[in-house]
Amino acid sequence: MDFGPHLFVASLEGAITAAVLALTAVGLSIVFGIMRVVNVAHGEFFMLGAVIAWWITSLIAGHPALGFTVALIAAPIIVGALAVICNRFVLHKINYEPERTIVATIGLLYVIQQTTLMTFGPEARPVEAPFNKRIALPWFEFGESGFALTWPWGLSTTTYKLAVIAAAVVILLVLWTVMTRTKIGLIMRATQLDQEMAQAYGIAVNKVYALVFGLGAALAALGAVLVVPIQQAHYLMGDDPLLLSFIVVIIGGLGSVPGTVLAAVLIGMSDGIISVFFTPTLAKILATLLVAFVLIFKPDGLFGKRRE
Amino acid sequence: MLRVNQIEVAYDRVQVLFGLSLSVERGEILCLLGRNGAGKTTTLKSIMGLLPLRGGSVSFDDKTISGLPAHKMAAKGIAYVPQGRRLFSELSVRQNIEIGLMASGAGHETREYALSLFPRLRERLKQRAETLSGGEQQMLAMARAICARPQVILLDEPTEGLQPSMTSMIREVIIEMKNNGVAVVLVEQHVDAILAVADRVTFVEHGVDAETVAVSVLKERPELVNAYLGV
Repeated sequence: MDFGPHLFVASLEGAITAAVLALTAVGLSIVFGIMRVVNVAHGEFFMLGAVIAWWITSLIAGHPALGFTVALIAAPIIVGALAVICNRFVLHKINYEPERTIVATIGLLYVIQQTTLMTFGPEARPVEAPFNKRIALPWFEFGESGFALTWPWGLSTTTYKLAVIAAAVVILLVLWTVMTRTKIGLIMRATQLDQEMAQAYGIAVNKVYALVFGLGAALAALGAVLVVPIQQAHYLMGDDPLLLSFIVVIIGGLGSVPGTVLAAVLIGMSDGIISVFFTPTLAKILATLLVAFVLIFKPDGLFGKRRE
Repeated sequence: MLRVNQIEVAYDRVQVLFGLSLSVERGEILCLLGRNGAGKTTTLKSIMGLLPLRGGSVSFDDKTISGLPAHKMAAKGIAYVPQGRRLFSELSVRQNIEIGLMASGAGHETREYALSLFPRLRERLKQRAETLSGGEQQMLAMARAICARPQVILLDEPTEGLQPSMTSMIREVIIEMKNNGVAVVLVEQHVDAILAVADRVTFVEHGVDAETVAVSVLKERPELVNAYLGV
C-alpha cells in the first residue's frame, strides 16, 4: 500500500481509539471537575463494562445484535450502579478528602480487578459485533487520465468501526446538551463552581456526587461496550484506558469537557497513527512526553482555567 | 422568629464561637458588629448549616433547625448572601437567578419582582456572572437570594467595596425586604450604615454576643462602637 492510503487506514484506527477514549476520559473529567475526586479505579469501570457485555451476550442466544443491544444498555447501568455504591460506602465515608480518595480508589482498582480475575478468569474473551460488513474504501489518484478513484487492496474498514465513531459522537453531543441545557446539568455545574453555595441554595450535593460518580463510570463502561467487539474482554484491559484518560484529562485541562474531548481526539489519533507506522510503545512514550511538556508550559492544561 | 441559642462552633481544633446567641423577628434588621475574626461570618454560616454545631441550637418559628443538612435550609426559608458574593461565576445571570428560584420552587412572578428591583440585571441576563462589575455582582447575589423567597435573609457585608450609589441602592432593597416582613441579619462594618437601617445591634466579641442594644441606644452612646470596634 502507498503511504496515502496507509495513513488513511491508520487515521481510521486512530479515530476509533479517539472515540472510545473521549467517552472514557470525559467520565474521568466530570468526576474530577465536579467532585474533585481523582478516580484511579476509572479504568476498572471500563473493564467491567466490557466483561459485563461479554457476560450478557453469552447469556442471550439468537442474533448477536440482540445480546449486544441489551449489553449496550444494561452494562453501563450496572457499572454506574456499582459506582454509586462505591461512592456511598467508600468515598462518602472518607469525606472526599483528596489524599484518602486516591488511596481508596487504588484499593477499589485492585478489588475490582482481582474479583474479575477470580470469576471471569484470565482469558481474553470475544464479543461478536452486532453487524460487521467489510467495506472497501476509495482512494484518489492523479494518473495520466487525470483524477480517478481507485480501490487499493487492503484499504477497507468495517461498518461496525464506523458505527463506533458515530455512536461516540452522538453520546458526547447528548451529554453536552444535558450539561448545558437541562436543569440537572445546571445543578451539576453549580455544584462544580461552588459546592457550599450550591448547598445554601437547596442543592443536595451528596445526591449530585452519587449521580456524577455513577455517570462517570457509566461513560467508561459505555466506551468499553462499544470497543469490546473490536478488542475482546480481559481483566487487565482497564490499564491503558486509565493511563490515556489521565493523559487526556491533564492535556485538556482538568474538569474542562470540551478540552478533554479535543485532547482525546489529539491523543487518540496520534496513538492510532503512530501505532500503525511505528509501535504502540512509541505512541505511549510520545503521549506521556506531551503531558510532561504541558505540565511544564501550561500547567492548567490547554483549556484549563487558572485556579485562584 | 429566628433564634440562635448558645452556639459553639469550631473549624477542626480551632474554636471560634463560644456560646453565641441572637434573635431576630419578622420585619426587623439585626446588625452584627465586631472586629475581624470575632465570629460574625462563622455565625451566619452556622445558621445556614454549613458548619456543624458543637453545642447550642438554632430554631426557626420555635422549631429546631440546627442539625438539618445545609441544603434543607433554603426550603425552610433562609437565604444567604455571603461575603465576596460567591456567584456561580461561569453561569449566566439568568442561570444564577434560576438556581435561586429552584431553591424556593418559585416561578415567573418572583423572578420578575427580583429583576424589577435590579433593572440593570435584566439587560445582562445572558452575560456570565464573572463578567459583571462588582456592583452588578452584588445585585445578582441579592437577586439570587430574593428568588429563594426567604423569610430570613443573612447578608454578609453586602456593600463592601461598592461605590456610594450602589451602596444606597442595596440599602433600599434591604429596607424593602424588611418592610415585606423578612427578618434580616446584616453583618456591616460602617457605623453610619448601621445607624441608617438597623433596628438592633448585637456586638460580637471573641465568639460571644457581648451586648445587644436597640439602635436608638447606640445613637445616644456612640462610645459603645469604640469599645467593641476600636483598636
